[in-house]
Amino acid sequence: MATGARKAVYPLFQLGGPQLRIFRPNFYMLVVRPGVPQPEDTVQFRVSMEMTKVDIKNYLEKIYNVPVAAVRTRIQYGANNKRNHKNQRVKKPDYKVAYVQLGQGQTFQFPNLFPEKEQDTETRSFDDFKNTYMEREKQRQKGDPRRGGVPDWFGL
Amino acid sequence: MRRSSAALREERGAIERRASRKAPPLSVPAALSRGGACRLEGWLVHVVPSGQSGVPGGEGCPSAVSLLCKMAASGRRRLLSHGRCWFSQTESAAPPQSPDSLYPPIVASATAKSKAAKRRRLEYFNQRVHAAASIEEKLRLYGQLQRPKYMLYPQTFALNADRWYRSFTKTVFVPGLPPRAVSAAAKAPGAVAPEAAKTPEGAAGVAPEAAKAPAPGTAAPGAAKTPGLAAGAAPYLDMGELRSLACDALLQESFYQNKKRPYLYRDQDHTPGPFLTQLVSTLAAFLCGRNPLLAASSLDLKPEVNYYWHHGEEVVVHGHRKGRVDPVRFQIDDHPHLQIRVPKQLPEIVPLESDLGDVPVIDHKPSKLPLFKKQYENKVFIGSKVADPCCYGHTQFHLIPDKLKRERFVRANLEDQIEVLYRANGIASLFAWTAAQAMYQGFWNEADVTHPFVSQAVVTDGKYFAFFCYQLNTLALTVETIQNNPRKNICWGTDSKPLYDVVEDGSVKGFNDEVLLQLVRFLLNRPKEL
Repeated sequence: MATGARKAVYPLFQLGGPQLRIFRPNFYMLVVRPGVPQPEDTVQFRVSMEMTKVDIKNYLEKIYNVPVAAVRTRIQYGANNKRNHKNQRVKKPDYKVAYVQLGQGQTFQFPNLFPEKEQDTETRSFDDFKNTYMEREKQRQKGDPRRGGVPDWFGL
Repeated sequence: MRRSSAALREERGAIERRASRKAPPLSVPAALSRGGACRLEGWLVHVVPSGQSGVPGGEGCPSAVSLLCKMAASGRRRLLSHGRCWFSQTESAAPPQSPDSLYPPIVASATAKSKAAKRRRLEYFNQRVHAAASIEEKLRLYGQLQRPKYMLYPQTFALNADRWYRSFTKTVFVPGLPPRAVSAAAKAPGAVAPEAAKTPEGAAGVAPEAAKAPAPGTAAPGAAKTPGLAAGAAPYLDMGELRSLACDALLQESFYQNKKRPYLYRDQDHTPGPFLTQLVSTLAAFLCGRNPLLAASSLDLKPEVNYYWHHGEEVVVHGHRKGRVDPVRFQIDDHPHLQIRVPKQLPEIVPLESDLGDVPVIDHKPSKLPLFKKQYENKVFIGSKVADPCCYGHTQFHLIPDKLKRERFVRANLEDQIEVLYRANGIASLFAWTAAQAMYQGFWNEADVTHPFVSQAVVTDGKYFAFFCYQLNTLALTVETIQNNPRKNICWGTDSKPLYDVVEDGSVKGFNDEVLLQLVRFLLNRPKEL
């Protein structure tokens, strides 16, 4: 998901018309699961390359009412090593990562988005039935066990 | 085992090439002369007993065998000299042979790329440090190997730094000062209770106050200021005197002295710094009579305190050492504003094995604090060199810099981090100081301290004072030594309290006697014998 800012387009001003100047941020911020374990109060975001630490702090505080104690950012360089079918290098896009430390003692744990669905009795019994059927089919494909795995398309 | 003739020829050629080199005399086991088996590092020599049949190969001639042993020994030494120099010298001595064993003891290799070899190298290193001739030599060996290490700053803007520092130093934080520091209630309304906090009540009779030369720079005779005391009578501190001393210092620095406007971001060096220096010097001089330890103390101005230690393990991420398991190294380079060093150690506050709380555990890398790595000299220093007689610490005074002033925290909506800053400063600075003191006495993480090391600190930004006491019970923080070590270091500390409210028109408004009293109690702390 592209987290860049788009150029804002305002309606053309005619004499006597209202002057509309609404400054709204055009960025998006994406919460991501950290690759390495982070402290409990740290949230990791992918933000637009044009955002600064102050921007991120104001964004979270004013729009989402999240108390922010500290923000640290870095830019992740996207590699340029992959090649396409024309042997041209394909660049992965660069992105900015922000580590936000929450204030007032709040903590954040990235949720598990794909939990194991608990199976009810119907699904479980269907799965068991399927497994037994597959095993029986495989058993039928196998040859005589007395032949020790040797194929039976030759011989007597 | 039959060796191929080509290998034998090559070996003989190697022996002839090395024959010209000078080899140290190596005692050849007696069995070799009879043709027994001899196993040497790096060379497998099968010396066949001449009586046996069916096992050809190897040298049967004793003289060739002894030559081979000598060559092997010299070759073994050469092999080591290419490797890491910090362990190579230990291999020169052959392991001693008990008279009843014919063969040298079988030990793990010292140069192989195996865990046993690594353990053996570590053992040799520990033996070398244990057997070091002097403390300087011990410190030199301890910090000989330089690798990237985390730099810990006692005064840091990092959030919740005190929790991290407690985890790195295995410290338990106990709010409030230890009970013996809280003296009995004021016995007389005007006079303050004696410093019975630190001295037992029986020894209330203080030696007659002699005006001794106090800290360098201030030659104010203490006798003129101390009130007359009858020998044997319970001394009391004149709060009026002390208050006037403190207010004089404060007014001198902030009101009477004509100073230019402070330079940008140099506010702390303009007024609170000199005020603190002046206050401590005059108080120490004033209290010399009551505390003979202060008279023999040494007051350092802007000293340097360093400590280097290992704690925990991590895997090296990139570089030519990628994948190896390394200890996590830390270094504290602290610059307190003032410190008092004394020749005698402060008494312990609680017994060595006390357990007063829990040490926080962090499960991620320290670099998330944020904490950064650098490689430079591994220094262990208390403020003076090893030969200095004042080798124990008494009190440190820290000044909070401009970057970490209270107003900046308040403006950034981080009021709860103000106390965190004071606590982190107290814990880290005192740990570094007490641990360096312990190293100056010859203890280190393999030779843990036998008695606790106690020091005190006052962290201030000129107006707000916070007091800390630290007891170092253990230095063993490395992975091997921390496993069976139940001891924890303990830090007592208070919140920051203001000494005064405001200074205006030549007078100090809202002076807080409690803070001054606590400061005086800290300065009067001394061992029970004195």
